[in-house]
Amino acid sequence: MSPILEVQNLVKKFGDITAVDGVSFDIQEGEVFSLLGPNGAGKTTTISMLSCLLEPTSGDAVIAGHSVTRDALEVKGVIGVVPQEIALYEELSARENLTFWGQMYGLGGSALKTRVNEVLEQIGLADRAKDKIKTYSGGMKRRVNIGVGLLHKPRLLFMDEPTVGIDPQSRRSILDSVKDLNKAGMTVLYTTHYMEEAEELSHRVGIVDQGKMIAIGTQKELTQMVGENETLRLHTGENVDVQPLMDALKELPNVMHVSASDNMVVLIVPEANDALPPVLGMADRLGYKIRSVDIQEPNLEAVFLKLTGKALRD
Amino acid sequence: MKKILQIGWKDLRVIFRDRAALILMLLAPFAMTVGMGLVTGTLSSSGGGLSQVPVVVVNLDQSTLGNALVEVLKSPELSNLLAVEENNDVTAARALLDADQTAAVVIIPVGFTASVIPQDGQATTADAQIEVYKNPSRQISSGVVQSIVESFLNEVETGRIGGQVAVAQLIASGMVPQQKAVQVGMQIGTRLANERGNLQTLILNTRQASVSEEPSFLMYIAPGFALLFLMYTVSLGGKTLLTERQEGTLTRLMTTPTGPSQVLVGKMAGTYMLGLAQMTILITASALLLGLRWGDPLAMVILLLTTVAAATGWGMLLAAFSRTPGQVSSIGMAMTLLFGLVGGSFFGGTSTGVIGYIGMLTPNYWGQKGFNTLTNGGNTQDLLPVYAATLVMAAILLVISVFIFRRKGLLQK
Amino acid sequence: MSKIIAIARKDIKIRFSGKTELLFFLFLPLIFTLLLSGVLFGGGVNKIVMVVVDEDNSDLSGKLVSLLQSSEAVAPSNLAREKAQETFDNREAAAILIIPSGMESNLKAGQGVSLDFTLDPSNNNGLAVQQEVQKAIGQISRSLAVANASTREAEQIQPFTDATQRQAYYDQSLATGQQMFETAPVRIVITQPEIATETQNQKETQAAQASAGQLIIWVFIPLLGTSELMAYERVWGTLRRLVTTPTRKPTFLLGTITGQLSNGLVQMLMLVAIGVVLLKVPWGQNPLALLLLLISFGLASVAMGTMLGTFTRTPSQANGLSISLGMVMGLMGGCMLPLEMFPPAVANVAKILPTTWAMMGMTQLTVYNAGLLQILPYAAVLLGFSVVFFIVGILRFRYE
Repeated sequence: MSPILEVQNLVKKFGDITAVDGVSFDIQEGEVFSLLGPNGAGKTTTISMLSCLLEPTSGDAVIAGHSVTRDALEVKGVIGVVPQEIALYEELSARENLTFWGQMYGLGGSALKTRVNEVLEQIGLADRAKDKIKTYSGGMKRRVNIGVGLLHKPRLLFMDEPTVGIDPQSRRSILDSVKDLNKAGMTVLYTTHYMEEAEELSHRVGIVDQGKMIAIGTQKELTQMVGENETLRLHTGENVDVQPLMDALKELPNVMHVSASDNMVVLIVPEANDALPPVLGMADRLGYKIRSVDIQEPNLEAVFLKLTGKALRD
Repeated sequence: MKKILQIGWKDLRVIFRDRAALILMLLAPFAMTVGMGLVTGTLSSSGGGLSQVPVVVVNLDQSTLGNALVEVLKSPELSNLLAVEENNDVTAARALLDADQTAAVVIIPVGFTASVIPQDGQATTADAQIEVYKNPSRQISSGVVQSIVESFLNEVETGRIGGQVAVAQLIASGMVPQQKAVQVGMQIGTRLANERGNLQTLILNTRQASVSEEPSFLMYIAPGFALLFLMYTVSLGGKTLLTERQEGTLTRLMTTPTGPSQVLVGKMAGTYMLGLAQMTILITASALLLGLRWGDPLAMVILLLTTVAAATGWGMLLAAFSRTPGQVSSIGMAMTLLFGLVGGSFFGGTSTGVIGYIGMLTPNYWGQKGFNTLTNGGNTQDLLPVYAATLVMAAILLVISVFIFRRKGLLQK
Repeated sequence: MSKIIAIARKDIKIRFSGKTELLFFLFLPLIFTLLLSGVLFGGGVNKIVMVVVDEDNSDLSGKLVSLLQSSEAVAPSNLAREKAQETFDNREAAAILIIPSGMESNLKAGQGVSLDFTLDPSNNNGLAVQQEVQKAIGQISRSLAVANASTREAEQIQPFTDATQRQAYYDQSLATGQQMFETAPVRIVITQPEIATETQNQKETQAAQASAGQLIIWVFIPLLGTSELMAYERVWGTLRRLVTTPTRKPTFLLGTITGQLSNGLVQMLMLVAIGVVLLKVPWGQNPLALLLLLISFGLASVAMGTMLGTFTRTPSQANGLSISLGMVMGLMGGCMLPLEMFPPAVANVAKILPTTWAMMGMTQLTVYNAGLLQILPYAAVLLGFSVVFFIVGILRFRYE
């Protein structure tokens, strides 16, 4: 099956600055694909080109068989866009906003009315439909903002950092909405600089930095690509001499590295689940009371750090 | 006191960084002043008011009175007022007026003189009328031309009737026999015709007002527009209170060791300083760029201080009654325009009549009065009523504003 | 087409979402029109103001003041000497006329009387006032002048024996003179173009000018505010969002223009209706011509607003510039002071402004009863402005 989105060597320059430098990737229909990268990595510029807001300096992208450089109108008919900032008319009600935007997507008459009602239900604002947007809370505005992107039942939905600067509850609500949409068959291109979001939502992730796509794959592929092991943390409590324990643990097979810090013994192991029983057994034999154990699996933050030498949120 | 000034100064800086606000505070009044100077001719050396009114005269009479009227219209005394063009063709002349190229067409018909003055002992011919064909879209200009022609005709009639009355009376009193009536009549008629302009016993003694340095009309317009947009400025100042409430910085301010009174007075101080800055800049710019001189400096400074205080009162009252910054903006602009209208800011003079009385409620009225007095050489003594009125206005409005602010709990912690 | 209408409706809804919008849409234009036309509280600004000091307080002086009040060009204010001088010194009057005490009695006694008349030399209106005053004093004193002349002629032939005889001769001459003036032929006829409307007197013309002038200003400023609307859409992010929909740039622009123009037209028609009903301005004599002029003016204004929107970055910048430019162009276009009062050079330069052409066209409608054909040149110029402004605006238009 051909991908719904194929990005082919997209480049965007603003004067001397190259904001997007030869990005290529594709998205299969029905998947959630995240573009993960820090601020200024080129995520928004990439989405802007795919939304036909910006003209690429070179390269192209094909969405549902239409080129963004040659068939912009057709592309806009199949994509939905949820911008990072709330882009609504504050003086109009939710219903009026949805109606207007539906009209801009070519909907009309009773079909539009029906669809507006459906979306209002979907975003849970049917009972506040007549109230002006300016009376809404931030979270409610975000929901309408998303609702606008869904009106015309797009084949591909672009969501550009939709959870930036909002409260945890609203954020949770948005993430759940994305999952629900995907379950219903929506293909989503989601940009974020929050690793947890990418991890939670995505089938595949593309990691971008300084305008370049530096890695693409499932989370497992990405973490394995750079070969990160898991980390075991054994909390031993205060004023405990852990040296004998450390010496003993070093001798265990599959323990690659042992260190101590802040009342903890930290071990690097290939698979935490396999290493845990012998480790705890050794601690018990040596008479150590282990108060708690943390297992940290390899994550995208670590992948990013490995690949770029800097943290995702530097 | 320090906090009050700090709050005020902060507001001043914030607004002065807003380029949009500066457009209406500074650019607009200056542009309107220059514009008004242009349209009234006071920026040019020709002076303001009606001038060079285009008139076309068609003299079909070509005799004594017709020629005399043309001479009157073309006289040096009226050369600034009228631009006279002679034309032989009535139709062409009318067409010029129909095309709005002239204010009036004066058509002196054939035989006009003969209809007034008996020629060679003959009776006068049938009455002939001078037609003044007026341009309806230039009522003032054409009205003036009409008046000039009527004035001329008045003199002519006075001479004619004067002669007839003189002869009739002489005959009735027996001083002159009937047979000599014609001869005497002609002598009197000639004499009176030569004295045409001197028959009047009621004389207009015209002189020009002599002031060593004649103030230009701009000196009345410039403060007018400055005062007009002063109201916009003080509404901006009042708006900051509501904007800060909306944006949360007011709440933050109230969490600091700053009393509500300090905040309120600080806001008032900021509005006041803003208005003062605006007026000072505009008056200075007018002086430097348009060469206007304002007379007694002390009197002017006090005038600025008191007028801006009155305006500040209005700005704070508006903020006290409004609920949102948007309301302040809209109503502030409406107030700016209305105050300007009734206060006389649009035309550099204080309004009269009923509008004048309404205008007295505005700082525009008193400020304009003060500036006009200054321009005419007034000093602090002459301006005392203006100072008093503006200070009273300021005091009353500020007190009411504070009362309303407190009632609304705008500054509760 | 449906998208254009949708955008237009959206803009209209947003504009009227605030309660204060009616203030600027209707109430303020109404108040300004009524005040400046002189309908409310009398007065008005087009007549030249002069002050009169009547220290004679006689029938004759009253007649003189009355004649001046009926003048089309001057508006006399009867004040006490000190107040009159102050008014003149404050440049609130173009001239000051002092009628001395004893004027009537002295004139009737055959003595000459001089009226002091002081002009403001920097104001040419003083000359115009002088002509009006000259006419008025000529009218009230002509019978007296005739009696004077008659008595003088008699004296030259045969001196009077005493003052009583002289007075009797004078009174008889005066009576005869008055009678002859009453039956004198009218030697002047005032005419206007046949096509002129009924606005023949000063008050009606002033009302027409106020109605037209205020209509232009109060419609022009909000239509220039198209720039503010565009700036707001940029700030809200809705313009950017619009680009992501399958909506072409011309569609967006046409929709915006349609919305603004509709607003403007409705407002103009309301103000025309107010002019017709309250001020008796003959707006409605040629509806097609009126409509053509209003549409072309509306288009020119929206076009200018669109162009202005490409030069401004923020809504408040756009708002400030709209108001400033609107007021200045209204002033220069003859919407506040009649064009006939402008220096000729300035009146010529003002023709580069759309407001001037709108004002001239509306004057043609209300005063000359112009038809479609006569209005065409004015509409054509306004449409020309539209084309130029639109071209610049469209070429410069950016979504961000």
